[in-house]
Amino acid sequence: MDEISVLQEKFGAEQDARAVDKCVIIAAEKLTDAVKFLKEEASFDVLIDIVGVDYLGMENHNAPRFAVIYCLKNTKNMVRLRLKVQVDEGKKIPTISKIYPIADWQEREVWDQYGISFEGHHNLKRLLNHVDFEGHPLRKDYPAKKRQWLSENDKMLDQLEERLETLGYKVVEA
Amino acid sequence: MRNGNPGFFAGKLDELVSWGRLHSLWPFPYGTACCAIEFMSTESARYDLSRLGSEFVRFTPRQADVLAVSGTITFKQAPILKRIYEQMMEPKWVISMGACACSGGFYNCYCTVPGIDRIIPVDVYIGGCPSRPEAFFDAMLDLQEKVKNQSYMQERKKKLIEQWATILERIEKKVGDEA
Repeated sequence: MDEISVLQEKFGAEQDARAVDKCVIIAAEKLTDAVKFLKEEASFDVLIDIVGVDYLGMENHNAPRFAVIYCLKNTKNMVRLRLKVQVDEGKKIPTISKIYPIADWQEREVWDQYGISFEGHHNLKRLLNHVDFEGHPLRKDYPAKKRQWLSENDKMLDQLEERLETLGYKVVEA
Repeated sequence: MRNGNPGFFAGKLDELVSWGRLHSLWPFPYGTACCAIEFMSTESARYDLSRLGSEFVRFTPRQADVLAVSGTITFKQAPILKRIYEQMMEPKWVISMGACACSGGFYNCYCTVPGIDRIIPVDVYIGGCPSRPEAFFDAMLDLQEKVKNQSYMQERKKKLIEQWATILERIEKKVGDEA
């Protein structure tokens, strides 16, 4: 059975009218189950990317302001599928980092650039921008040339140190 | 005293120091983008920067004289670059290689530093995207010219005057306290 029809029947997904490839719109609360189904039963084994979209100022757009798109790939028959979750400002999307571990950093990037937060994420902090950065630069209402200085060095090794400590090493303060 | 030669030569210390400096400018490569690839080919056999005496690329700022910044510098990197500049020993010089390091290049956006001269002083700028090795040679020759004209003794004199001024101040203060 085609995975899109399963998604439509089981998870209430609907096909995206604007897309030319396989793309379905799905509700945020059904996302975790749908992704679990796609990974375990439909063998979509690779999560290629998580993309944020800001639709502010787009003509004829009646849906919520933001969307998060999950690009999945089945490496057995080389089929690609996109899951689209529409979300408004201040609403949360469940994390899928427990299903695909790579989603950990991808969700952090989406949060960093768009300010879309993910519920249940264990370490939701900025990935690309520095710690003193205010606002989310890829939002349409962020002034494109607004620059923000960083004066103190960013501590980037916290996750590495955590991992070293679980492996039995002791991290000494420099 | 072989062949009647005296075995020493006379010259100004100033000229000797600047001669030594300009023929041993060791670069520290701060490479972040494609300009660094051009810098590598400048260093390697085809162009060979060691012809100018820049023999060693030092990967520690403590042993380097020239900071060659080649590539885009983001705001997240700015404190790192500044710290490396501050770790370098005096005398030190900076070459800003390529459009990104000089002005931010075409990254006119939220994340890129619009020119490294907002963070550290720059001696020589090189244009180009990326700059060719010949341009880097030209910059090194310009830098050598600059180093040649810098006077070690004048700098020393200035420092000594500053030191003496502070010492005199302290002596005067002490005398004033005792009196």
